[in-house]
Amino acid sequence: MRILRLVIAIAVLSFVAVQLNPGARAAGPVTEVLIGELLPLTGNFASLGQQYLWAGQTVEDIVNNDYPDLQVPLGPGKGFSGLGGAKMTLVVRDDQSRGEQARTLAEQLITVNKVHWLNGEGTSGNTSIIQPLVDSYGIPMSCHACASPTLTDKGFKWFFRTGPNDRTMVASVFQFLKEWPSKGGPGDLKTIALFTCDNLFCQDNRKIAADLAEKGGYKIVADLTTKTGATTLASEVQRLQSANPDVLFFVQYPAETTVFQADARRAGYMPKVVATSNGAYSDQTWLTAQKANNGAVGWLGRDPTAIDLASKKPSWKKVNEIYKKYSRGQDMGELAMREITGMLWMADTINRAKSVEPAALAKAANETNMKPDQMIIDYKGIKFDANRQNELATGVVTQIGWDDEKHTIWPWDLATQAGFKTIFPSPSWQERESKTKK
Amino acid sequence: MTLFLQAVADGLQMGLLYALVAVGLAIIWGLMEMINFAHGEFMMLGMFGAWGLSVWLGWDPLVSMVPIAILMYLLGVLVYRLLMQRVQRGEIFTQIFATVGLFFFIQNGVVALFTSDYRFIERSLLTGLSGANLTIGGLRIGIPLLVGGLIALALFLLLYLLIDRTDFGLAMQATAEDRDAAMLVGIRPQRMYAVAWGLGTALVAVAGVILANFFSVYPQAGLSFTVMAYAIVALGGFGSILGTLMAALVVGVVQSVTAAYLPPAFKDAFVFGSYILIGLFRPQGLFGRF
Repeated sequence: MRILRLVIAIAVLSFVAVQLNPGARAAGPVTEVLIGELLPLTGNFASLGQQYLWAGQTVEDIVNNDYPDLQVPLGPGKGFSGLGGAKMTLVVRDDQSRGEQARTLAEQLITVNKVHWLNGEGTSGNTSIIQPLVDSYGIPMSCHACASPTLTDKGFKWFFRTGPNDRTMVASVFQFLKEWPSKGGPGDLKTIALFTCDNLFCQDNRKIAADLAEKGGYKIVADLTTKTGATTLASEVQRLQSANPDVLFFVQYPAETTVFQADARRAGYMPKVVATSNGAYSDQTWLTAQKANNGAVGWLGRDPTAIDLASKKPSWKKVNEIYKKYSRGQDMGELAMREITGMLWMADTINRAKSVEPAALAKAANETNMKPDQMIIDYKGIKFDANRQNELATGVVTQIGWDDEKHTIWPWDLATQAGFKTIFPSPSWQERESKTKK
Repeated sequence: MTLFLQAVADGLQMGLLYALVAVGLAIIWGLMEMINFAHGEFMMLGMFGAWGLSVWLGWDPLVSMVPIAILMYLLGVLVYRLLMQRVQRGEIFTQIFATVGLFFFIQNGVVALFTSDYRFIERSLLTGLSGANLTIGGLRIGIPLLVGGLIALALFLLLYLLIDRTDFGLAMQATAEDRDAAMLVGIRPQRMYAVAWGLGTALVAVAGVILANFFSVYPQAGLSFTVMAYAIVALGGFGSILGTLMAALVVGVVQSVTAAYLPPAFKDAFVFGSYILIGLFRPQGLFGRF
C-alpha cells in the first residue's frame, strides 16, 4: 500500500512539474510554432500596438505562404522548412497599455497557451515589467521597436533586440549636429532645451540627450518634463520661448505634439532647430497629417533606417504590399519596418534551430549573423553583443522636407545618395502657412 | 510679470474649454447625482463626428455641431433608457460598473471601426485662424481658443437659464433633491433623468466638436478630459452650473501658472491639491448647494 501511495505521489508530482515547465509539450513533430504577440492594442499606446500587430500579421503571412521572389528570410516556401513545414501562428493578446495587465497576460501566454516565443510588449516601459517574468520562465523574448537601452543593459538572458536603442539613435542626432558645420551647416548652435514626456522611453531619451549635450558643449537652457496626456502646453511653450534655445530636443507622443504645435503656433514660437527622437516623428498618421499645413517641415530626427532609400528596394515594396493587406492601405512606417525585420529574424532563428525548445532557440539566436541583403531595413546586419543587443543596428538622421516626406541627412554617404538639401533654420509658422496656401 | 499674466490669460482660455467639457457632467453627476465614467467617450464621439463630417462631407465643425448635438442628445436618452434606468435603483457600484463597461464598449468600438490612428481636422474656420491672436496690453489671446471659449460661455448662459430660470429646470432640481416628493407634484422623474442624460451627452459632444479643432482625434482622447471634468464638478460644487464654470477657470489658471514656474509635471498635482484644500474648508465645493 505504501509503495502504491509513493508511486501515485511521484506520478502526481511529475505531472505537476511537467505542467509548470513551459518547455514541456507533447512529444512528436512540431506542426505549429506559437508566437505570443503581447501588444497594447487598446489604451494610450494603441496606435503603436496596431502597427506592431499589422507587422506581425505581415510576417505570419510571409512565413506561411510562398513568395518565391521575396528575398527575406522564409520568403520563398511555405512554413518553417527546418521544422518540416510547420506553420507560424500568432497568439495575440491586448494588455490595454497597462503594465500589470501585460504581466498577467505574459504569464498566461507562457503557462496556458505555451507559446514558443514571446514578442512584445511594444513599449519600453511595459516591456521592462514583463522581462523578469519571462526570464524566470526561460523562453526567448524580443521587442524590436523598444528603444530603451536599459532593456538590454540589465543583462536578461532571454531577451533579444534587433533594433537600435536610443543611445545609438540619439547619438546619431548629436553626431550630425557636431559634423554639420563642416558640411555647410550652422556653426553657432550653442544652446539646447530638452522637452520630453514622463515615461521610461522619454526619460531615457532625456538622460541620453542631456549627457550628449554636455559632452557636445551645448548649454542646456531649459529641461522640461511633461505628463503624458497633457491638454495644454501653453506655459511650457512660454518658458521655451523665454529660454530661446538654438536647438529644441523634443520627445513627445503625437497627441501632445499636436498640443505643442497649436500652442507654439499661437505664440509664434519656432526654434532654429527642432530635433526629435521617435514619438510623433515615428507615427505614420501624425506624419501624414502634417501635409495639410507643413507643420513639421524642417524638423529632424533619428530613425533606424534611411526610409527614403530603403523604400526603393524591391523587397521593401513587396513586403509593403503585404503589409497594406492588414493595415487598411497604410504604408509601412519605420516602426513597422523595425518590427518586421525583427520578426523575420525570429522566424529565421526558429528555422535554423530546427526545434522549438527554448535552449535550442536561444543558441540559434545567439549564433545569428544575418547579412544586410536579407533585410528590408538598412542595418549593417544582425549580430548580438553579450547583452543580446544587435550591435550592427544603425541610426540615421532624417529631416522632413517641403514635400512633407522624410529625407536622409546623415550619415553623409547616405545623405549624398538621398540628394536632399538640408533645411535651416526651421521655417517660421508664417512661412509654413504661406507655402500651404500656394 | 508678463509671464505670470500671460499664464493667467492662457489658463482662462483653457479653463473655458474645460468648462465646456465639464458642463455635461455637471448635469448628470453634479445635478442628477448619477455616475458617468463614459463621459469622455461621448466627447470623443463628438470629435470623431466632427472629423467624419469634415472629411466625408466637407462640413465645418461649427456647422456639424448642430446635427451632432441632436444625435448625441438622442444617444444620451437611449443610454439612459436602455442602461442607466435599469441600474439607477441599485447600488452606486452598479452605476460605476455599468458606465465603466460603457466606456470600454464605446472606446474599443471606435478602435475596431476606425483603428487607433491619430486623425486631424485639416481645414476648418478655427484651424484656419490657428495663428491669429488678439493682443491686449501685451498679452496674447488666441482667436480660435477665444471663439471656443465664447461658445462655452454662451452654452453656460443658456444652461444656467434653463436650470435656474425655467419650470423645467426647477423640475430637474426637484427630482435630484427628492425624487418621491417630485412625483407627488406630478413630475415624471424618469423623463427628467432621460433629458439630463440627453443634455449632458449633447453638451460634451459639442465640446468634442470644438476641441477637435485644436487636438488630435483618436479613440483615447477623452480620458484626460474626463479626469479633469470630475475634479472641476466636485470643486465647483454639486448642483451648481455657475460653480462648474468658476472651477474650470480656477483649474485652467492653476495648471497654467504652475507650469510657468514649476516643473510642468506638478501642474495636475496642484489642481488636485487645490481641490483637497477647498474640500477642507468647503466640502460641498465652491458653490455647492448640497
